[in-house]
Amino acid sequence: MYRRLLPLILCLSLLAATQTGCWSSKEIEDLALYTGLALDKGELTKAEQELEDKGITYSKQNKITATIQVIPVKTTGSKDKQGGQQGTPYQNVSGTGDSLLEIFRQYSIRNERPIVGHHLKVIVISAELLKQQSIGQLMDFVLRDNDIRPSSMVFISQGRAEETMVSKRSDEVPSVHIRQMLRNRSRTSKVLSPMILSKLDALIHSKRSFALQNLVTADGETEFAGAAVVKGGTGHWVGNLNQEDTECLSWLTGKGDTGVIKAYDWDNEPMTYEMKAMKSKIKARSDGDKIRFEVSIETEGRLIETWNTSSILSSGDNTEKAAKLFEEKLKQMMEHMISKLQQDYKADVAGFGDALSIQQPRAWKKVEDHWDEVFSRARISFKYDLKITDFGSFTE
Amino acid sequence: MFTRTDDKITATQAAVFLNNTVLGAGILTLPRGVSEAVKTPDSWLSVTLGGIIVMAVVTLMVKISQQFPGKTIFQYAGRIVGRVPGAVLCLLLVLYFLILAGFEIRSLAEVTLFFLLEGTPIWAIVLPFIWAGTYLVYGGINSIARVFQIVFPISIMILMICYALSFRLFDIDNLRPVLGNGIMPVIRGLKSTVLVYSGCEVILTLVAFMQKPGQAVKTMLIGIGIPVGLYLLTVVMVIGGLSIDSVITSTWPTIDLIRSFEISGFLFERMEFPLMVIWLMQMFCNFCSFFFQASLGLSQILKLKVHPVIYMLVPVIFISAMIPKTVNEVFSLGDFIGRMGLVLFLLLPVLLSIIWLIRTKGLKQHV
Repeated sequence: MYRRLLPLILCLSLLAATQTGCWSSKEIEDLALYTGLALDKGELTKAEQELEDKGITYSKQNKITATIQVIPVKTTGSKDKQGGQQGTPYQNVSGTGDSLLEIFRQYSIRNERPIVGHHLKVIVISAELLKQQSIGQLMDFVLRDNDIRPSSMVFISQGRAEETMVSKRSDEVPSVHIRQMLRNRSRTSKVLSPMILSKLDALIHSKRSFALQNLVTADGETEFAGAAVVKGGTGHWVGNLNQEDTECLSWLTGKGDTGVIKAYDWDNEPMTYEMKAMKSKIKARSDGDKIRFEVSIETEGRLIETWNTSSILSSGDNTEKAAKLFEEKLKQMMEHMISKLQQDYKADVAGFGDALSIQQPRAWKKVEDHWDEVFSRARISFKYDLKITDFGSFTE
Repeated sequence: MFTRTDDKITATQAAVFLNNTVLGAGILTLPRGVSEAVKTPDSWLSVTLGGIIVMAVVTLMVKISQQFPGKTIFQYAGRIVGRVPGAVLCLLLVLYFLILAGFEIRSLAEVTLFFLLEGTPIWAIVLPFIWAGTYLVYGGINSIARVFQIVFPISIMILMICYALSFRLFDIDNLRPVLGNGIMPVIRGLKSTVLVYSGCEVILTLVAFMQKPGQAVKTMLIGIGIPVGLYLLTVVMVIGGLSIDSVITSTWPTIDLIRSFEISGFLFERMEFPLMVIWLMQMFCNFCSFFFQASLGLSQILKLKVHPVIYMLVPVIFISAMIPKTVNEVFSLGDFIGRMGLVLFLLLPVLLSIIWLIRTKGLKQHV
């Protein structure tokens, strides 16, 4: 027994010496957690401008402005602040420079608490900045950092990205608001499935084009407005898809199966189709060097609204006529989206490349390096099958 | 629970022992290592094929060990090839176990430093683990086996929960096409799957400790079958969840998979912390197993008592853990271990079996 006692005592004393308290523990009250990060084209903030006028700066090129949204921990002792300025539950801090980490460290000579990225939820990049810098350059730091989780989501903003981090409402944090709006994917396919960092990492590495959710701010409110297309080879922003294109994109890639289609009937009155199911399939065919795709889209739904009071839609003939009209509308939307991708942007963000690589790996290998180019010339044919299954609880 | 005084373990304990020796840090880096070599989504085929090969190797190791009941490789190698060559071979094996022990503890420290305890000095992480390991190894194979029995279900359960929750990211398209570039990439990937199975050499001593060595083949195949299955599952889940391009660029792909989702309203919002904390125990088990093998080998070769040898090896393992200076050096050490494992396999079970066969069957000698 005594022979075992010696190692035990040694072991315990060493454990006690090294593990008393946590070695590198940090109190959460002393940290500044940031939940949002906005990247803009370099533009000095007012404070920075004044500092620079006084000759206070360091060696840098002002390529980006990074804004972080810090959530202050409310302490009970700060009651005396009441009545004065109306506090927002967040605080935005901006800095300008050309290295993300350097800018982050620069915050530390202005603020009392060190910032930590464990709770970063949303990254917004302005389209303007993405014209100048590639997505790979901008995301390099966040992909490498050990604090920032790969579950953070990336968005593009049409205007200044820092504007998306400001809200009119005083009781909510804009970055959390943006993230929670994603839940509305159950209602509309205009919200793309979120792009998390680890997915983005794969797309950057494989040099593929992709679409990111676009954010537009107007009058202090931020809206999901279509999608931004980022070109694979260069990593630059090339253009936007409008809301209907975005919806079609979700349906086509099979990531969205919700939404409505509105069409005008024979009396030019609006009628609306509520989607209940959506199935899309891309078939890749290659004969020789020619590559073509056959897309079949099947959807089922209900006719949920019509302004036409003179004819009964639920009667057999009219139902078929209505279904045809909806199908026509869907076709229009799809073709608009595809022509934009093929002709305007020459970028495959709809997963045609994936379909080819899975179904025809040999053909894919040949065109992999210049896929966007090949895609823009590929023939894509559609087959639609739209079924109206019911008419809600109102039969007439 | 009763305290056993003899150095024998049951069949279940032996299977768990082998499993906890093989299953370790490999699970955190395997998807990247294999994907880098394969470059197509066929990595899972490489892992399966590698597993089948390793099972054959395991069978061979058990068979040769069964010829010398109650004797470890360190005791019977000399009887097959002569005392001096046998001792040299065994010292090589001891060296291999020492490097492996250092590697495991270093991987453990690197993961902890990067994700959990940024700023803690590395020796403060390495030393307590070595000391706790020393205490465990001091207790002999029975204590070790029993600790393994406790750790095994916990770590497997947490791993399974993590994979189950990561299923929301899983996309079967990330694993397609199957064999799009033919069979060659799968063959290329075989080399990097060898490392994750390194450590199965413990079988050469483990059989000697079994209560019923007759069941050894079945037991050991189950023992190695669990890691093979889990490695396969890991590769499928990680590549299916992150896609091959993301896996190649990630230092710790498995942890990145778990970090890629959050579960709001769950007991743990972030599963990587429970996984890492639990997996540290698993890596600790790996380390203890190799530590035990090294001390056992050294004491049996040099005919020393085992306890002083254990103390003697503590600084050696510490140094072995601290030799790599950067993470990249740790990974290249891992590759080196993989190659060394291959050489040792050719030298020990294969060479020994051939010589034994020639001497007993060919020359009718009594070995």
